Amino acid sequence: MSETTPSSRPRDGAGTRSRQQIFSALIGRTGVLAALILLIIVSSFLNDRFLSVPNLMNVLRQVSIVGILAVGMTFVILTKGIDLSVGSILGVSVVLFAGILETQSMAVAIPLGILAAMALGLVNGLGVAFAGIPPFIMTLGMLSFARGLAFIYTGGTPIPILDEAFFNLGNGYTFGVPNPTLILLGTLLVSGFVLTQTPFGRSVYAIGSNEDAARLSGVPVGLYTTIVYVISGGVAGISGLVYASQLSVGTPIAGQAYELDAIAAVVVGGTSLFGGKGSVTGTLIGTLIIGVLANILNLTGVDPFVQQLFKGALIVVAVFIMARSSRA
Amino acid sequence: MKHLVATTALVAASIAASGAAAQETMPISGKTCAELLEQYEGLPFTDVLPLEAGPIEVDGSTDEIVIGFSQTGFNHPWRIAMLEAAQAEACRHENVSMIVLDGNVDVAKQNNDVRDLIARGVDAVLLSPVESAALMPAARAVMNEGIPLIVMDRDVPTEKTLFIGQSNVTMGERVAEVMAEDLGGEGNIVVITGLQGSSPAVDRDQGMKNVLADHPGIEVLAVGDGEWIREPAVPIMEDFLTAFPDIDAVFSHAEESSWGAQLAIARAGRCEDGILHYTFDGSNAGFTSVRDGTFRADGNYTPFIGDIGMRAALYTLMGMEIPGAEEYGQPGVQLALPDSPTVTEANAEEWIGRGWGDFAPPLDPCQ
Repeated sequence: MSETTPSSRPRDGAGTRSRQQIFSALIGRTGVLAALILLIIVSSFLNDRFLSVPNLMNVLRQVSIVGILAVGMTFVILTKGIDLSVGSILGVSVVLFAGILETQSMAVAIPLGILAAMALGLVNGLGVAFAGIPPFIMTLGMLSFARGLAFIYTGGTPIPILDEAFFNLGNGYTFGVPNPTLILLGTLLVSGFVLTQTPFGRSVYAIGSNEDAARLSGVPVGLYTTIVYVISGGVAGISGLVYASQLSVGTPIAGQAYELDAIAAVVVGGTSLFGGKGSVTGTLIGTLIIGVLANILNLTGVDPFVQQLFKGALIVVAVFIMARSSRA
Repeated sequence: MKHLVATTALVAASIAASGAAAQETMPISGKTCAELLEQYEGLPFTDVLPLEAGPIEVDGSTDEIVIGFSQTGFNHPWRIAMLEAAQAEACRHENVSMIVLDGNVDVAKQNNDVRDLIARGVDAVLLSPVESAALMPAARAVMNEGIPLIVMDRDVPTEKTLFIGQSNVTMGERVAEVMAEDLGGEGNIVVITGLQGSSPAVDRDQGMKNVLADHPGIEVLAVGDGEWIREPAVPIMEDFLTAFPDIDAVFSHAEESSWGAQLAIARAGRCEDGILHYTFDGSNAGFTSVRDGTFRADGNYTPFIGDIGMRAALYTLMGMEIPGAEEYGQPGVQLALPDSPTVTEANAEEWIGRGWGDFAPPLDPCQ
């Protein structure tokens, strides 16, 4: 009880607040996790094949493309930014993988495609951090610009990928787990480590909480903000790698509107659009909630028109519940 | 002063250079006239409204003729193939040039595009509308200016010079008939549609339903939205395979989605089920997949009406009658196209090379 009445212990004010924050973060996190578990339990009753291993593997593979994008998006949203261009940057990397593989090997195509994605992210970062362009505007511009690049590169026609090793990368298994899922988990682990265990990661939270305070305490805000957008671009390139290798086609419309799915996953996962609060673990859970919902709607044969209602309602309800639990 | 002259010269030179470049490659397709003329040789309908190569003479003069083309959008290679056919016809006539506008699959933008074409004083308008009813105001505006209006692919329910089109409903019926026959009138199918709500998806679905009404033994287990492309079709099909142990066929509105469904079948280890594919689009890659046994039938929806539309516009400007144009219960007249047969294993070989696109199909993961 005493924690909720800071006036009685004035010197503990800061400590109390941080304890409260941890408490609400825990509730937020467990709230999301509880929602996922509840959804899984309900789904297992709705369809007896839902809990089968092949289906669970399918879900893990199906969420990998948007899940990877969402991990990159988490960095950006933690800084109070937004990256609307990730779907288009994914598109650029997909057509580059396909185009380069026509004449070169995977060892050339993969780094080049990801580097190009990072370069587009760098342009975003410089625009946001040093030219003072609001993230929404900068990345909205890049959304259109990068999509244009993908169309110009392909002339509007999909480029087939006939490289078998590349196909196996996206469709194969390692230790019984689909490769795209492993790429998602790898991205997640590295990102989680960077965000929680490095000075850079802690600065990302600081920039999102209070940019001025972060600058005053010596955080190189411009540089770190730029790096965050490079990460988001590069991660979109990795997601493009999963896309291209799974589907073996370099289509210029790859990833259209995926930025919205990624943002939805981040928000459902409990990361605040106002910056400074959230985690990639939450993003993974958010991605899984959306993925499991799509899966069970397909398994139960729900009409695609109606599926959109469910998805929309889920996003709003999830954020509503989280907002309430963090206020409690 | 010297500086100013140098700058002016530089600007003039760069404008001249970009003008020269524009003459070399055509917009959107990025192809030169030489490449397009080579493609023209392979077009299937050049004998419809035949026209000699060479300058077009209107009232005894061979002044520059500008044809405006407002396309639905260029987000699909089918749309680009249609444009290339029109550009190839334009390349055959020195005094014919084109202004091409991209409607971005947005009726509001396309309405504006058509008005821009009128403002730019084009001699005729080729229009391939995003939606039928929504383009009526723009079509009326063209006709009110006395400019010939050739409507292609999807119709506009208002006065026009000529409509050249195909029916997605009857094509859907033909593909569904092949499926019903293959299944012997009995079986479980799943449907992967084109982008839900778009008119070809609605029409292809209607065609299928018309046929299935006569075959009550064929049950539609589930419907998913494949959005015309490969990516969404893969997870949808994976989930259908999980939910339904017994699927006989996939009826998909797009080749891309069918290839995606086949990938899902392979990954689920269900190649042995012998699930049959019925699809649409009419690309050379699709025909190759029919020949190789991945698809059972491919609805042959040809984009090669672009050159016919261009010739129809030129015929009209030259004051020539369009042979075969007939009343069809809508305002204006229609030019009925010769039938493009549904491509099955019986005629796949003969159609490869006469479809659109010059890309290869993906490897069939089940073969």
